[in-house]
Amino acid sequence: MNAIEIRNLCKNFGEKQALAGLNMTVPMGSIYGFIGENGSGKSTTEKIICGLIHPTSGSIKLYDRDYTDSDVRASMGVLIEAPGCFPNLTVWNNLMIQATNLSIVNKEDAVRKVLTMVRMEGSAGNKYKNCSLGMKQRIGIAMALLGNPKLLVLDEPINGLDADGMRIMREILTDLASSGVTILVSSHILGELEKIATHYGIIRGGKMIVEMTSEELENTCPTFVAIQTKDMKNAK
Amino acid sequence: MSVTFENNSFKKRLTSMLGVDFRRMFTSSLFYIMIGASLVMPILILVMTTMMDVTVSVNPQTGAETVMEGFKNVWQIIGAVSGGEQTMSMDITSMCNINMMFFIISIFVCLFVGADFSSGYAKNLFTVRSKKSDYVISKSVVCFIAGASMIVAFFIGSMIGGAIAGLPFALEGATALNVVMCMLSKILLVGIFSSIYVLASVFAKQKLWLSLIMAFAIGMLMFMMIPIITPLNSTIVNVILCLVGSALFSIGIGFGSKAILEKSSLV
Repeated sequence: MNAIEIRNLCKNFGEKQALAGLNMTVPMGSIYGFIGENGSGKSTTEKIICGLIHPTSGSIKLYDRDYTDSDVRASMGVLIEAPGCFPNLTVWNNLMIQATNLSIVNKEDAVRKVLTMVRMEGSAGNKYKNCSLGMKQRIGIAMALLGNPKLLVLDEPINGLDADGMRIMREILTDLASSGVTILVSSHILGELEKIATHYGIIRGGKMIVEMTSEELENTCPTFVAIQTKDMKNAK
Repeated sequence: MSVTFENNSFKKRLTSMLGVDFRRMFTSSLFYIMIGASLVMPILILVMTTMMDVTVSVNPQTGAETVMEGFKNVWQIIGAVSGGEQTMSMDITSMCNINMMFFIISIFVCLFVGADFSSGYAKNLFTVRSKKSDYVISKSVVCFIAGASMIVAFFIGSMIGGAIAGLPFALEGATALNVVMCMLSKILLVGIFSSIYVLASVFAKQKLWLSLIMAFAIGMLMFMMIPIITPLNSTIVNVILCLVGSALFSIGIGFGSKAILEKSSLV
């Protein structure tokens, strides 16, 4: 069984075609790196999976059920663009609201657990609006992790993070994958995901160009050269 | 490999959503500001109009005189006796009374529901809670409670304001029971207005200005019916009419809100 199975997905915004017959298969327990340029259709695909926008045509199955099935959807965790938090509430209260939404019985413990997982135990009392970008992204992950989701959908979670923030985010995702959570994570930079992804899907112009495992990717592109310079102008 | 999913019943889903909305309402400063304003407004209206006494303005072109009289009785701010001359007139006692709260409620509803979309909370919610009906029911219930609280606050403010202004509390053409029925009718009528405002808010989503314009416009159309349906000498018939009307309108408008959420994009 696959966690996500998309067939011939199309989405038009007026005359503009954002997705043109996309096919995608995300195996259970994988970290699926969803790679594509800006405007290639990554976010649109993820928003459709999450039920935030409606597809023009095509089929989407989550764990062999229709993607609108409320029981399946209740087991999803999502971070699309910015985390959906109330700016004047504290981190703790925002997480408590989501915990209540998910009908979690032991809310305080669940919130404490996810805050520990994203290394934010000490910031629970901070107002959301006063948090840095990296902290906000981690709060978004914490929110997505509430209720022990089976499937995580993350839209460019590493975007805008500093090196330390990226490292923490990678550690969090790797920890989650080892506990059996399926993760769909999008990015426009392949290098950001190469250390963690087990599967890749590359999208361009609303179509899936290729899907492969990390081993297949390594065999296809076995070597590369990385050059670092402090003087970009003269290096050119 | 098989995966099992927990089945969330309607009761469980609705309870959790109501829990969130009540928690948000009671922890938001907006709710207390609106209650405070509802309490202070009648005090200011009664005290200031009593101080104003009688104002006569003359149109310089026609020479016509317009007499603006203040409140002669505390109960005028709650409602007029049906058949009385003030029921549909455009003087200060007809316009600056408890019925204007039905407009002010729209500010709370539009800000409260609009915040779900502007903060991105709706994204979190509709991903894990795909049933739009739960959302509409929860928002309608919470906004009804908030609106009813504001109406009650206005009533309390009216009593305080009346006492400060030294206005008589004598009931003419109505009894204390009539006043209770009148207030009950008005509270039940909030159900219709809050449902309309929820509909306007889910239609406009993060465009707060649009939801406020829509809410005011629709509210304006229905404003004239309030004094007719809920006069000061209301009886149990008025209460039942408001109860049934409110229930039917809320269900009908609720279906409209649900359809909008299901058919439109949520981001």
